[in-house]
Amino acid sequence: MKRRGFFKLLMYLLGSTTFISFCYPLLRFLAPPGSEASIKKLVLLKAEVPSGKAKSIVLNNMPAIVINRPDKGFIALSKVCTHLGCIVEYDRDKKILLCPCHAGTFDLDGNVISGPPPKSLQRLPLRIEGETIVIG
Amino acid sequence: MLKKIENWLEVRIGLNDLASTQLTGYRVPKNINLLYTVGFAAIIGYIIQVISGVFLLIYYIPHPDYAFGSVQNIMNKVPYGWLFREMHIVGGNLLITAVFLHMVTVFLMGNYMRPRELTWVGGGLMLIITFIFGLSGYLLPWSQLSYWATTVVTSIPTAFPVIGDATARIFKGGEQVSGTTLSRFFALHVAILPPLFLSLAVLHIFLIRRIGISATPFGKSDEEKRPLTEFRKKTHPGGYPFYPDFFLKMMFMVMVYCALMFFVITFLPTIFLPVEANTPADPLMTPTHIKPEWYFLAPYQMLRLIPNKFIGISIQLIFICIFLFWPFLDNQKEKNILKRPALRGAFLFLLATWIFLTFWGGY
Amino acid sequence: MRYLLLLFTAILIFPCIAAADYKETFEKEFLSKPWAGEQLEEDACISCHSSDTMKQQYRAVVEEWKASWHAQNKISCHDCHGGDPKDATMSMSPQRGFVGVPKAVEIPEFCGKCHIAILKNYLESGHGKAFKSTGKGPNCVTCHGSHRIGKAGIDIINEQTCTKCHSYDRARGMKQALFVVEKKMGELESDINTLKGEGIFVDEKERALFSTQAEFRALFHTVDVSLVKQRTDEFTKRLGLIDKEMQDIFRELRFRKNFSAFLMLLFTGMGVVIFVYSKLPKE
Repeated sequence: MKRRGFFKLLMYLLGSTTFISFCYPLLRFLAPPGSEASIKKLVLLKAEVPSGKAKSIVLNNMPAIVINRPDKGFIALSKVCTHLGCIVEYDRDKKILLCPCHAGTFDLDGNVISGPPPKSLQRLPLRIEGETIVIG
Repeated sequence: MLKKIENWLEVRIGLNDLASTQLTGYRVPKNINLLYTVGFAAIIGYIIQVISGVFLLIYYIPHPDYAFGSVQNIMNKVPYGWLFREMHIVGGNLLITAVFLHMVTVFLMGNYMRPRELTWVGGGLMLIITFIFGLSGYLLPWSQLSYWATTVVTSIPTAFPVIGDATARIFKGGEQVSGTTLSRFFALHVAILPPLFLSLAVLHIFLIRRIGISATPFGKSDEEKRPLTEFRKKTHPGGYPFYPDFFLKMMFMVMVYCALMFFVITFLPTIFLPVEANTPADPLMTPTHIKPEWYFLAPYQMLRLIPNKFIGISIQLIFICIFLFWPFLDNQKEKNILKRPALRGAFLFLLATWIFLTFWGGY
Repeated sequence: MRYLLLLFTAILIFPCIAAADYKETFEKEFLSKPWAGEQLEEDACISCHSSDTMKQQYRAVVEEWKASWHAQNKISCHDCHGGDPKDATMSMSPQRGFVGVPKAVEIPEFCGKCHIAILKNYLESGHGKAFKSTGKGPNCVTCHGSHRIGKAGIDIINEQTCTKCHSYDRARGMKQALFVVEKKMGELESDINTLKGEGIFVDEKERALFSTQAEFRALFHTVDVSLVKQRTDEFTKRLGLIDKEMQDIFRELRFRKNFSAFLMLLFTGMGVVIFVYSKLPKE
């Protein structure tokens, strides 16, 4: 009798430990930490980026560039090349973005013109509010 | 305290009577063995899949542009997301193994024979649905592995003349695997198959309880006289009570199942996740060694061997029909497989061939 | 009944016997599909240059290329030499951009078609200036070879290669200056491969590492030891950031293993308890 009681107790202990070991992760799973605060926005003045020029910025640890295209207006693109991750450079005269690693070329919309990159540069959300540009 | 709740229920639903007829009074044969519990472990496995699946559903996004990212999010950012995903992956594969084992043991013990033909057919259909669960779920992470394995498997119906291409197109939702395929596989996996499987499971369990558990033909001989000509529920007056004796056996099997699942999650977490499973799907780049998931390797290998695809797939369909309707084709009264060398030999040969083809298909 | 069984078993054996020519039919039926595994590509350059009628020295080129890092990354003949790889008649046509073998003085620009940053640094370096002005001196092929180009590594700087024009002292100094960063990069690379094997998606970190590696190695081509030393800190810091993230991931992986092991032990324990309990004599 004592033995049965002992094992029953052991079973309840192990069972409840298991149950709690699933409940705790479940609760953490359903309530993830508020890591969304890390997505920051960047505000620039229109005057900082005159027509034809560009400004390099860093958004959420990602190097990016804001270009004021004479024909199509502002655009914010990630500077990380989609080939292997090198940082592209803006060539104002040729109106392209050129990757120094393997000569991947992108146009000012971020689309691939030539070279090994498999897809276009990531476009960042950009809004114009009055005299400011808000990126992100 | 517990007594009070019991009394409250007793007055409303007749708890004591229920407990005595369904639990303590319900008797199982004395020569019942552990293999009789594999079916129950499979049901528990299925419940684990449902629960872990529902939690994954909370974070998964079924769109080709977001699916892969959402799964990576579950694995790396969501707290303990990895736990539920691993449980779902390992649980799924373990479930298929358990269902397969259950099928093999039921066959070898002759428990498909009259009056249990419907139970077998229901079980066979559940096995097929489980495979389709596996197939549809495999695509959802939208990785290279998912995409290309699905492409291979959904192209198998093209072997049929006339209706082959149309069938493949219905599966894929187009000429190639695409977002349309993802949507329909997701609907299958999450909304269409579960109620189907559940109804079959309920039917299956109802039949088992209604007809009565059959005794094993080994050891002490079974007194069931064949053929039966009228309905008679099979009882075992001299047997063990379902609760607590058989219940403990069932629980033991469930613990083995779960321990096995967590053994794999601890020591072999990437056994079902090769590098291609962690690369986003690229319709333009085929990996060098694609193959379907392991439970489809045998039919896949067989198709690769047989020159004429149509004959290959027809043979497989014939085998599936034979397997599904076996109780109707088997007209011998002898239940003990030890006394039926031809059937035993044929079955073991087919099983060995299946295992051999699975390994071969893996290369 | 048993005859029915034997008949069905025979149905299975028959196609296996008939499968004597399965390979050909399989290739025709399956390999022609776009998803059928190996992409059998028709490359006109390679077909001719590896054929028996070709002179040995040209055949050797294909073998050397196959062993190269370019080949592993699917860069082939036409990517450097131009021409059309899909059409044998136009494979060496200037109309399709064929430039043939570059003259020695044009080698840097030949490789610099793609490796822009390196070309820029090289032309500004002592090596580049010497080569361009005298026609003597190291160009890309001197250290990297022309077709058997291996993966970049610190051991390309060695006594054999670097003593052709001057003493090894300068090269040794450079190698020492590069050493710390190169070592760290090597460690990070192998960590990334380990993580990939463990099923973690490390694309972002791979890119960050590659970008840092490429920039550092492009910097080397200035052959300016003081510049390298000056910027070593900056690179070490960048690599340190990547390293920290990876160490976090390793820690997380260890935690996961321990947690699931704990759960496994709980279930095993419960299984044992149930088993023992079931064997206890009834009261």
